[in-house]
Amino acid sequence: MILEAKHIHKYFHEPQKQQVLNDVSLQIDEKELVSVFGESGSGKSTLLYILSTLDTNFKGDLIINKESIKTMSPSCLTDFRNAHIGFVYQFHYLLPEFNVLQNVMLPAMKLAEKNRDEIKEEALFLLEEVGMKDFGLRPSYKLSGGQQQRVAIARALINNPMLIIADEPTGNLDQKNTDMVFELLKDITEQRAKTVVIATHNSKIYKNSHRTIEMIDGSIRL
Amino acid sequence: MPKPIFNQTNFFIALQYLFARKKQSFLATVGVMLGVTTFIVMINFMTGVNDFLDDAVFKGSPDVIISGKQEGSSKQQSLGGNLNTLKNIDQINTLLSDHDNVRSFAHQIISPAILISTTNQLPGGINGVFPLQEHQMVDLNRRLIEGRGFESLSEENTILLGVSLAKRLQISANDTLKMILPNGKSEQLLVAGIFSFGITTIDNVRTYMPATTLQRLLGKENSITHIHIKLKDRDNVAIKKTLIQKFEGSTVEDWKDSNKTIVIGNKVRDILTWSVSFALLLVAGFGIYNIMNMTVFQKRKDIAVLKTVGYSSNDIIFIFLIQSIIIGVFGALLGAGFGYIISYVISTTPLDTSDFIIVDTYPINFNLGYYILGLAFGVVTTILAGYFPSKKASQVDPVTIIRGL
Repeated sequence: MILEAKHIHKYFHEPQKQQVLNDVSLQIDEKELVSVFGESGSGKSTLLYILSTLDTNFKGDLIINKESIKTMSPSCLTDFRNAHIGFVYQFHYLLPEFNVLQNVMLPAMKLAEKNRDEIKEEALFLLEEVGMKDFGLRPSYKLSGGQQQRVAIARALINNPMLIIADEPTGNLDQKNTDMVFELLKDITEQRAKTVVIATHNSKIYKNSHRTIEMIDGSIRL
Repeated sequence: MPKPIFNQTNFFIALQYLFARKKQSFLATVGVMLGVTTFIVMINFMTGVNDFLDDAVFKGSPDVIISGKQEGSSKQQSLGGNLNTLKNIDQINTLLSDHDNVRSFAHQIISPAILISTTNQLPGGINGVFPLQEHQMVDLNRRLIEGRGFESLSEENTILLGVSLAKRLQISANDTLKMILPNGKSEQLLVAGIFSFGITTIDNVRTYMPATTLQRLLGKENSITHIHIKLKDRDNVAIKKTLIQKFEGSTVEDWKDSNKTIVIGNKVRDILTWSVSFALLLVAGFGIYNIMNMTVFQKRKDIAVLKTVGYSSNDIIFIFLIQSIIIGVFGALLGAGFGYIISYVISTTPLDTSDFIIVDTYPINFNLGYYILGLAFGVVTTILAGYFPSKKASQVDPVTIIRGL
């Protein structure tokens, strides 16, 4: 077991107090590809931000790799995220000032466990894996949506994290690119032995996941 | 293990942002540059003027003057030609010789007179001096235009004239002129030399002649009217109080009393320099503040991404602050360079002489300290201007930003 959420409650206080997550508990094992699906407003994105340690303002506990994130200081948490969690967002979010290669390298440069050349080599290898090797020196804003999402996946993998969190990774893509991105995430789970958690409302994705978690009104449907 | 905030990666990211906005970065740099340039030019020029006046006025004048107190009304004096001779000279001499802060002092007998050349006649104040003493007070050789300096006054019946006075009398060195004293006596004098202090008000009226000649003509052998004192530390005029208390029969003035306009002028120039420079740097600072604020606002998505992939709040502060610092350092260096060039050009520009000062080119003070100050000033302003937007950037909450789309 790599991740365990224990009785998570989450409230929004703006514009009025509202419960978004109600007693959510779940366990995710290593090498699992898990989809969280549900309608918008069901709390799946909120759950994902909590699972990815970005949002620590909740009741309950979250244990990743046997460590409770509630006991970590903000700077510890930042370093923890840097080393162990990779992100893919709906809107790709590459930094437009940097080229494709630099975008992939950024998390590893922060981790600073390898030197620049090693990081570059690793980044080129990952870009090849996602089929973007020839675009390394392009400014990232000159790529199509599907291409950007593939680069974002390479960036999520650069520090060899144990957990990949993807928030609606195909939400903005056409069917062809959706298939391609999902295949990539599946390969990552199976060949690179990662745990991947995807929030989605694409039926094709959740049907093809190892396990699905359905959210309704802030609770997991059993 | 915590890593230092100042690292290659953060620096690399900062540079990348800076170059992605070439135009804005350039304009911000120019803003700082203008501020520092103005500061340097103004302070070089203003302190140049101050120093020039200091040199011309204060070096050519005593720091403290003791004179005999006027007895009776002023009308009586101007009509009768009564000189206010100093009393207790021996005691004053002893006090001055023993005083720690006195560098040198000189006796003078000063009398009004009318100077007559072949073409003109003018009133003037005649300073009867003892050449050896006076030489320690005023470095006249540096200011000599023609003829000889104080050494010529060891001969009787000689006189040294300020350049403007000589011009108006249409007289040059080795000419003679006639002097009429208030008691009616007159004498032919040899113009031994002509000097210039560069200040019209001095060059217009000042003359030197041997005290012995003047004493003889006035019938006041061994009397003097003034004692001029140069101090070691000019700003410490405590001696003035002592003199006033001990010698009630005399008047004591210090350099601040006799040069109020110049002292005030210096102060006004200082205030002007500092306030204008400060205002300009403030404007440059606000420019940077604005640009950084806008950048942080535009880049909040990027900041959110950097935070999710593991960049800490301190990393973010550093990434944005270093951009301001780079702008500040470059702007300040350019400003110091330009400031030097402009100051240099001004220092070689011929100055059309005004009535007040006589000088060939604009006086400029190239003190290195002002350049260091200008650099520090520019860099500190930009750091302050960059800090608050950077702080704001570090407080971006990634969840809010990512959810917000």
